[in-house]
Amino acid sequence: MADFLIRPATEDDLVNVFEIEQVSFGTTAWPFEMMQTELAPNPSRNYFVATLDGEVVGYAGIGVVDGHEADVMTIAVSETHRGAGLGRRLMNRLIDVAAKRRAREMFLEVRADNPVPQALYRSLGFEQIDLRKGYYQPEGVDAVVMRLDLTPRIQDLAASTLQEPVVLGIESSCDETGVGIVRGTTLLANAVSSSMDAHARFGGVVPEVAARAHLEAIKPTLDQALKTAGLSINEIDAIAVTNGPGLAGALMVGVGAAKALAVSTGKPIYAVNHLVGHVGVDVLERGQVETPTVALLVSGGHTSLLLVHDLIDNVELLGETIDDAAGEAFDKVARLLGLGYPGGPVIDQAAASGNPAAIRFPRGLTLPKDMEKHRYDFSFSGLKTAVARWVESAEQSGTEYSIADVAASFREAVVDVLVSKAVSACLAHSVPRLLLGGGVVANRRLREVAQERCDANGIELRIPALSLCTDNGAMIAALGAQLVMAGRSPSGLGFAADSTLGVTQVHTL
Amino acid sequence: MSPFLAIDTSVGTSVALIAGGSVLAEVNINDRMGHAENIGLALAEVFKRADVAPSRITAVIAGRGPAPFTGLRVGIAAAIAFAEGVARPIFGVVSHDAIALAELDGSDSTPITQAGASTSSQIGSQTSPQIGSPLLVTTDARRSEVYWSLYSGLDHHGCPVRIDGPHVNKPAELESILNERGLAPRLATASVSASALARVVERQMLAGGASQDVAALYLRAPDAVAPKDVSRTSKAVS
Repeated sequence: MADFLIRPATEDDLVNVFEIEQVSFGTTAWPFEMMQTELAPNPSRNYFVATLDGEVVGYAGIGVVDGHEADVMTIAVSETHRGAGLGRRLMNRLIDVAAKRRAREMFLEVRADNPVPQALYRSLGFEQIDLRKGYYQPEGVDAVVMRLDLTPRIQDLAASTLQEPVVLGIESSCDETGVGIVRGTTLLANAVSSSMDAHARFGGVVPEVAARAHLEAIKPTLDQALKTAGLSINEIDAIAVTNGPGLAGALMVGVGAAKALAVSTGKPIYAVNHLVGHVGVDVLERGQVETPTVALLVSGGHTSLLLVHDLIDNVELLGETIDDAAGEAFDKVARLLGLGYPGGPVIDQAAASGNPAAIRFPRGLTLPKDMEKHRYDFSFSGLKTAVARWVESAEQSGTEYSIADVAASFREAVVDVLVSKAVSACLAHSVPRLLLGGGVVANRRLREVAQERCDANGIELRIPALSLCTDNGAMIAALGAQLVMAGRSPSGLGFAADSTLGVTQVHTL
Repeated sequence: MSPFLAIDTSVGTSVALIAGGSVLAEVNINDRMGHAENIGLALAEVFKRADVAPSRITAVIAGRGPAPFTGLRVGIAAAIAFAEGVARPIFGVVSHDAIALAELDGSDSTPITQAGASTSSQIGSQTSPQIGSPLLVTTDARRSEVYWSLYSGLDHHGCPVRIDGPHVNKPAELESILNERGLAPRLATASVSASALARVVERQMLAGGASQDVAALYLRAPDAVAPKDVSRTSKAVS
C-alpha cells in the first residue's frame, strides 16, 4: 500500500495544490490568488497536504474560530490517487485539528450530484442540515450543507490527550537550543541547534554567547521541529520548557518563548527540571523509566548522581560536583594539551593510542576521609591542576612525553571516579539499574568501563541514543508528557528561570 | 479591528494591545528584573483585559533595545514565539523610538498627533524633521554607561526621525559629543511603553517602512576573553 504522508501545507505547496484544484473543480475552481490567500500563514486556517514520495497528491483545509466552529474550505485528491482512503484521512485530520481548537461543530457544502463524497462525510458522522438551490454556478448544481457535532470528539480528545499527549519541549539551559516533539512516549521530532562553534575560541561555554545564540536559533529550531513532526502548532496539546538548572540568561530565552507560545496557542505549559529530563528521556526508547534507578548525568555543565525512586514524584540527589563539571575538566585539559574544543571528543581521539596506566592521576574525593561528607560527590579541579603540573614539570625537565598517554591517563582518572561512585551507589542502595545521560556519555571509554563494571556487579546499564543524551528538547517534551499523562496540573505563567533549581523539584508549578 | 501585540523588555516588562492608534490594554511592570517571570502573566493579562482572543491579532511587535542583555532577550524571544503561535508576521522597533514618540507626540510643535492622520498622497514623501532643539533619549546601560539616540522630531507620518544612535557611551563622553556638535537637546528618559512601540509600527506601516528585523541591539560584545594560545613545545610528541 502506498505510503501517504499528511502534513501542514505551506506557501511552497501553492502551485501543486492549484494544479489539483483546477483539475478537480474545473469551472468552479478557486482563482490562483484566492488559493494563495488561503495558504498564507493565518491563525484562522489549517491547511494540510497529502504527499506520496514528496509529491502533493491531495489537500484539504478548514477555517476555524477557536472554541466555536470550523468550516471545511476545500478538499481534493488528485484523480490517480482516489479510492485509496486519502479523502477520509484528510477529513479525519481536519476533524482532529478542529477538535483540538475546541470548535464545537463543523460545516461543509458538497455538490448534490456527487454521491461519493457525501457518503464519505456521512460515514464520518456529518448530517445534512440544508440544501442550497443552484449554489454551484455556472452549472446551477445544488449544494448539500452538512454538519458534524464535534463535542463527542472533543471529549474523546481529552481522553486521548491524557493517554498520548502531543507535547512540544523547549530546552535552552546551556549551549544547545532544542525543540522536541513527542506523542506520549513516541519521539516525533528532535531539532537541536548548537552554539558550540561560537565557544570554541574561548575554550568553554560563554554564557552570554550561548544566550545570544538561543535567541537567534529559537525560531528556526521551532520551525524545524514542527516540520519534522509534520504538525501544525495547533495540533500541540501542551508546551514543556526547561526552567533550570542551567545558565540563567540562556534559560530565560526558552522560558520567555515557551510562555508566549502557551498564551498564543492557549495550551498548558509545564516547567520541568533539566536534569530529570535527562533521566526521563529513556521513556522514548523503553516506554517507561524503570525505577528505582541510579542516574549518572555528566556534561559540560553538570556532574550529578541521582537516585530516582519515581520519575515525576521522587528524585533524590546523591551527589554532584563540588567544583568543575566533568565536561569542563575535559575542555580545560584539552586546552592545556593544545588539542582544541570541545574537549571530550579531542581527548577521546588523542587517548586512543595512549596508555591509560602511564600516569597515575589523582581520583578526587575517593579517599576514606572523603567518604563521610562526599561519598557521592565529585571534584575535578584538583585533577586538572595535577595534569597541568605534570605537563609543566615534564617540560621543565626536558623529558619527552606522550600527549596520548597524558590524555588516556587523564580520561581514565575521570572515568574511574565517575563509574566507581555510580556503581557503589547502586550497590549501597540495592538498585540494580544505572542510567547514563549528558553529553559526556559520548565518551567511548566511559561507556566501556561502565559496561564492564555494571556487568561485573549484576547491574543493568541503560545508555539512551547519543542524540537523546546530549541536551535536547525531546527529553523536556518527554518529561512534560509524563506529567500530562499522570494528570498533573500545568505550571502557572509566573515561574522563574532558576539557574540552581534542585533536582528534587521535577516540576515547578 | 486589527489589533497589534507589542512587547518590550528593554527596561521593565511592557506589553500592549493596540488597534488603530488606540490602546486596548497595556501592562507595564517597572521591575528591571524578573522579565522571565513577568512576561507570561503580562501577555495573558492584556488579552484578558482587552477581551481579545490571541488568534485575532494581526501582527506582533518586538522592542529590539538597546538594553543590557538578559531582560531584552526575554521579550524578543516571546514576540518571536507568539508570532509563530498565531502564524502572524513580526516587526522590530528600536525601543528608543517608542520613548521619542511618547515624548514628541501631542506636543504643539509636532505636525501630526494622531495615528492614521497621514494620507495616501504623503506615503513615500520625504521626511521633514522639525527644526529646533533635538530630542535626546537615554536609557540605563549599567556599568556607568548610557544608551542614547538623538531625534529631530516626527516626520509626516508621525514617525520619530532618529538622526543618531542608538549608541552606548559614558555620560561624560556623550556630553562631549553633544558639545562638539553644539547641541543642547531636550532630554527624555522615560521607560519604554509597548503601546508607543506599537504606534511607531502602525505609522511606519502607513509610511510603508516597518522593519521585520528583530535582532537584539546589545551594542556591546559579550563579556568574554579568548584565552591565549597554548603553544606546544617541541618536546611533546603525540
